Amino acid sequence: MSAQYHPLVKRLLDGELSLAELPAELRPEGEAALRLIRSVDRAPVTLPAALDARVMATVRRHAASPVRRAWRRLTAPRDVELRLRVRPWTVWAGALAAAAVVVLLVNRAAAPSSPPRGPGTQARVGSHDSVYVRFVLFAPGARRVAVAGTFNQWDQNAALLEPAGTNGLWTTTLAVPVGQHQYAFIVDSDRWVPDPRAPAVDDGFGRRNSVVAVVAQGARTL
Amino acid sequence: MGLRDEATDGEIVRAVLAGDVERYATLVCRYRDRYARYATRMLGSRDAAEDAVQDALVRAFDHLADCREPDKFAGWLFLILRNRCFAERRRRMRVERPLELADEAFAASDRPDGELEQAERSRALTAALQHLTAEQREVFVLKHVEGLAYDEIARLTSATVASLKMRMHRAYDRLRELLQEHG
Amino acid sequence: MTALRSALLAAVSATIPLVLAGQGDVTARLDGRVPAEVMRAVHDIAAATAARGLPVEPLIDKAIEGGAKRVPADRVIAAVRALANRLDEARRALHDGGIETPGADVVEGGAYALSAGLGPRQTSELVRISRPPYDPATSLRVAATLAALGVPPKQTLDLMESMIAAGRSPSDLLDLPSAVQTSVAQGATPTQAANGLARGVVHAPGQAPDFVPPGQAKPHPHKP
Repeated sequence: MSAQYHPLVKRLLDGELSLAELPAELRPEGEAALRLIRSVDRAPVTLPAALDARVMATVRRHAASPVRRAWRRLTAPRDVELRLRVRPWTVWAGALAAAAVVVLLVNRAAAPSSPPRGPGTQARVGSHDSVYVRFVLFAPGARRVAVAGTFNQWDQNAALLEPAGTNGLWTTTLAVPVGQHQYAFIVDSDRWVPDPRAPAVDDGFGRRNSVVAVVAQGARTL
Repeated sequence: MGLRDEATDGEIVRAVLAGDVERYATLVCRYRDRYARYATRMLGSRDAAEDAVQDALVRAFDHLADCREPDKFAGWLFLILRNRCFAERRRRMRVERPLELADEAFAASDRPDGELEQAERSRALTAALQHLTAEQREVFVLKHVEGLAYDEIARLTSATVASLKMRMHRAYDRLRELLQEHG
Repeated sequence: MTALRSALLAAVSATIPLVLAGQGDVTARLDGRVPAEVMRAVHDIAAATAARGLPVEPLIDKAIEGGAKRVPADRVIAAVRALANRLDEARRALHDGGIETPGADVVEGGAYALSAGLGPRQTSELVRISRPPYDPATSLRVAATLAALGVPPKQTLDLMESMIAAGRSPSDLLDLPSAVQTSVAQGATPTQAANGLARGVVHAPGQAPDFVPPGQAKPHPHKP
């Protein structure tokens, strides 16, 4: 007996034909096939109600984490003039490895060193459009954190991050010119750390650089 | 309970994102069993399905800010669970663990003969599903267990109807080959 | 012919100040940041690169980066030379894709795409299909970002082709990297995310497709 069903029997199983529409010689095969497929177990599956409690226990733990609270505070929308994009991150897997998210604050170019002061701030357009980008790094135990890249000549003294509380989060906001940039964080002046969740490319020196492309359309990052 | 149970998924998601974490329990309760059958058939055991559903619900909470359309939380959660099931399949293939058989037990000795045959056929089919590829198993489960039409499955999986039918027809032949003894 | 000669002379004379200025820029920008031998080598590489009409800014950036990371001089020089070659490779790919005289923006975009893992043919193809309203430099940046997120080059090109063939707006292309990241957050691999987006091109990236999830009561699928 062929292990392959006749194409018309397959159409029967798909519900496109009825048994009566099959040629007579195929009806036994069709009936057997239907019997087989109809024997599939469709009984609902009920999972233990205790699952709810386990999920909520984990959810509460995650929600109560001071780092997560600070994270939400740092990334929550603040102004109608600010649009926010948060990249997914994996720091909650429990690793202590530094992790970073670049959060975009959208504001048409202002004076490069001054972040927006509030709603309604009229931005001054410089020689190039810039977009404010907030850099956030989770680096508990670090004494000094900086971000360096093509937007600041890789100067690790030009953009120091500030601790956002005592939870291990560091942050700063920079005006980044439109264009594509490579960057990395420098922890304690000697450890270069890329963003594990941002796009990354080989830096040509055996390490990885994170990449952010700031585009003028809609003032955003990729 | 009360009025809060009437809230839509979107309303609950927005409340959770605003800080009312306890509201998430409503979504957990709503969806704990909804996709349990799908996960059980995909993974071959209720234990594995329980783990997958639990992980998916936690992951959904952790990434709730990425749910751009809170009113479509159901579909978004399903995609998370689906990815989790496929990831579990890939993990099993890497460690070469034998696929688990369905753990729903049939009390065969309590059933009349006709039902016994049906029950055995059902059990055999459930076991045979684990020998399909993950893609074949999914289209079979979605169509013949969950009752979706091909165009609905296509929207859900982003596959074309033609490719889904091809997978399904291969699944039919493979199941027949595996179950020829059961006729 | 006179008009043509004038145009050519104007083009040449416009280039010379840039080249000359570029050399001064190299020295000024590298001074104090890299060892003297690096400065001399980068100066020469930049001069040759500029003479071929390619941007030198990326070369200067790479040298400064090497200095900041305290990389040995010979490795900095090697990296700058490799980048100059990459810019050449990008220009050839752009030419094959139909851009005779690419600007700095699109050359850098091409170099980024190649650095991220796209091949020269894929880069050429992407440029070829990025006709108005699509901008090649933006297409290259989006594709490079996808590749840098882990989407394999073939899937990257397939996804971009699907979007462009479907007539999606240029701003929809800009959404692709974040859509991939959203899918990855849901547990998909970058490849799965890209394949899903390519197949579901009818939906806007990042939006949940309009499907009915399973688990609802459905009628039996078989005809009586």
